[in-house]
Amino acid sequence: MRFLGAAFFTILATLAMPVAAQQVVVEKDTELRGDASSTAPVVGKVAKGTNGEVTDKKGAWVNLKTTGATGWLFSFNVRFASSAAGGGGDGGAGTMNRLAGPRTNVSVTSTLGTRGLDKETLGNGVFDAEQMQLLDSYATTRDAAQAGATGAGLASASVAYLEAK
Amino acid sequence: MTIVRSLGYCLALALASGLTGTAGAATLDLGKLIGAGKDLATAGTGIDEKQEVEIGREIAGRTLGATTAANGGRSALVNDPELQAYVNRVGRWIASQGERPDLPWRFGVTNDPTVNAFAAPGGYILITLGLYEILDTEAQLAGVLGHEIGHVVKRHHVTVMQKSAGVSAVAQLGQVAVQARGAARQDLFNRVIGTGAEIFARGLDKEAEFEADQIGVVLAARAGYSPYGLIEVLHKLAARGGSDESLALLFSTHPHPNERLQKLGEALEPRVPTLPAGQEPAIRQVSADVAPAPAARPTTRAAKPEAPAPAPAPSGGTGFGIPGFGSFPLRR
Repeated sequence: MRFLGAAFFTILATLAMPVAAQQVVVEKDTELRGDASSTAPVVGKVAKGTNGEVTDKKGAWVNLKTTGATGWLFSFNVRFASSAAGGGGDGGAGTMNRLAGPRTNVSVTSTLGTRGLDKETLGNGVFDAEQMQLLDSYATTRDAAQAGATGAGLASASVAYLEAK
Repeated sequence: MTIVRSLGYCLALALASGLTGTAGAATLDLGKLIGAGKDLATAGTGIDEKQEVEIGREIAGRTLGATTAANGGRSALVNDPELQAYVNRVGRWIASQGERPDLPWRFGVTNDPTVNAFAAPGGYILITLGLYEILDTEAQLAGVLGHEIGHVVKRHHVTVMQKSAGVSAVAQLGQVAVQARGAARQDLFNRVIGTGAEIFARGLDKEAEFEADQIGVVLAARAGYSPYGLIEVLHKLAARGGSDESLALLFSTHPHPNERLQKLGEALEPRVPTLPAGQEPAIRQVSADVAPAPAARPTTRAAKPEAPAPAPAPSGGTGFGIPGFGSFPLRR
């Protein structure tokens, strides 16, 4: 019971946590809407190149604040400031940690101690039968995957493919 | 008929070379072999699914070998069986939403600090730990896996091989290679896929990547996830920029994430009002002990009938994972 109570207050604290704004640049001329919906009223316009701060997101939408307007636009119509511009560009674990959002306790490079795959190592790759056998052992069936998804509360939806642009 | 008999002879020669361990591979007249089979029915239709799976398996195995080499001999796959089972459960569920649900799909997280993912023909998908660790939600993982599954569904790498070596050559070499052994097998596969896993170093054309992005979004949505996980991952990649060493290979083989965002946005924009909101479950955390065991051996356990449900993430954060932008509460 004590555990549940602590968890509840942790969740409340998370929800109440102020959202840090993030610097963005608007990618194309677009309208701002009063809510995260295509049917919400238009409350302003922003031009390509406008600087602003994103303070929230809902699905495909982000909430943008500029000096002249505030409103919602599609997230793919903004570009977030680069890590170098945003924080000193140390290029190492610090950059990764900042970019990893809430998952700030892992530095993969330092953990693994390697630089990883590049073109040369890929070109020299020799078939690893043991690791392939291990990979096989992790496989699951279609039915088991469906059962797992259902157990996790996921339900399939009918969604048509996008039309290529 | 004469042509078929001739190819049969060459096939037997190739197999015999392989079975004897062979130095004969070097002298195998592949030109004649290809020429002899040009009229076969498979020449015009490309490789069949069995061949495709075998070719993909060879590429995946070489990629794991390259990862092991890059790790100084430590195991290529992350030594976290629960994580691997989880990624297989999520990946197989997403693959079930596409046109090739019954391929022998395999998913693995590799001990590689770079940010990347690979899709080999036939359903072999590898995602690096460097990429997995920057994902905040299962919806983002779904977007990434959906993109890779899209490459397999559309046979993008097979198309590259066929453009490079010719449709009939790939079909016939592949047919011979899957039956060969030893050095002959390696030589034949090299003729189809190049040396090692260099096919992943060459990349695909831009249109194939854009197409895989669009498929990835839809497959994730069909699987019940937010369609926008991949958008968030692309934002992360764009924000890190091309000067980030861990992204060097990815940036050299893919269009810039900003271009991908633009193309994906253009295709998505008219559909946003009708797409389901989907879910953004917490992503499973990697075990604290991700350091691979030296000389890891394959286990003998069979494939799990049911993968465990993901453990709730300790943090409730989600969003774009951009600096200072990680404190949005989960929205389900």
